[in-house]
Amino acid sequence: MQLFRPNLEASLTGAGYMEQMVQGILVVNTETIPGMMITETLGVVSGSTVRAKNLGRDITQGLRNIMGGELVKYTELLEESRQEAIGRMVAEAMSRGATAIVNVRFATSAVTAGAAELFAYGTAVKAE
Amino acid sequence: MADPPIVVLVLSVCILPFLLLAIFGILWSVAYPAMLIYAVLFSGQKLNEQIEDTTSREVSLRESLGRDPLTTVDGGYRTDITDCGVVWAGVVFGPSHWHLLIGKINNLIGGSIDIFQKVVSAGRAEAMQRLRENAVASGWDDVINVRIDTSDMAPQGSQSKVKAVEVFAYGTGVKYG
Repeated sequence: MQLFRPNLEASLTGAGYMEQMVQGILVVNTETIPGMMITETLGVVSGSTVRAKNLGRDITQGLRNIMGGELVKYTELLEESRQEAIGRMVAEAMSRGATAIVNVRFATSAVTAGAAELFAYGTAVKAE
Repeated sequence: MADPPIVVLVLSVCILPFLLLAIFGILWSVAYPAMLIYAVLFSGQKLNEQIEDTTSREVSLRESLGRDPLTTVDGGYRTDITDCGVVWAGVVFGPSHWHLLIGKINNLIGGSIDIFQKVVSAGRAEAMQRLRENAVASGWDDVINVRIDTSDMAPQGSQSKVKAVEVFAYGTGVKYG
């Protein structure tokens, strides 16, 4: 619950990571990159983040849950945090001088009620 | 007019949170049965509408493309791929409290609990349909190596009020040259 400590810095750097990602490191979840040759592997890179919505959102989503169906705010929460996790993974790969990440896998775990850990990992490679 | 004595101030500050809590408790005890009755009457209908909506979107997208863009094959089946990138979609989906109650009663008897199967497969169909829509919106022709993860938003023993699963589908979008 980030009620008292808004994690502004992390979200700002997360946005920065996404810009780097747009600038072009190739992320795929296949073992090979179609049309490219992998010349060197640089090891496993990973990125993770634990995020939660505020108490008000938890209450409204709890009310919505009585009726069932999709919980839109939690979907948004997981979307944002997954982008942040991928951004961190990409930043680690770039620091190793990789040009692509192959075989990306995602894992999710709920730490406590309303806080989810999103984990993304893959193999950093140099590809031509 | 004299200031109120300090004892009264301290007492009121101490009591105020409990008073608020009591008001919320009373409101909740009145409002929850009403919402539960609403859920009993309309949640099944809402679920059916959701399934119909997902199915009609899926059918119209398949008809416009002429095929299903998702494949679980690694590397795809064509060699003229020019561009690729990861694409994903997730949805958090939960049964209503009425469906939870049906599930609990069904659990006493045992056997297949059809209502949960219906809810989770509705969420999964929605996630896969969003993956198709995301891929089409990003300009990919196909999505290869699709993987689907399901994770519990309310793990055992977490005391969570929200009962839901997250369905997450991801794959590699490809563009044919």
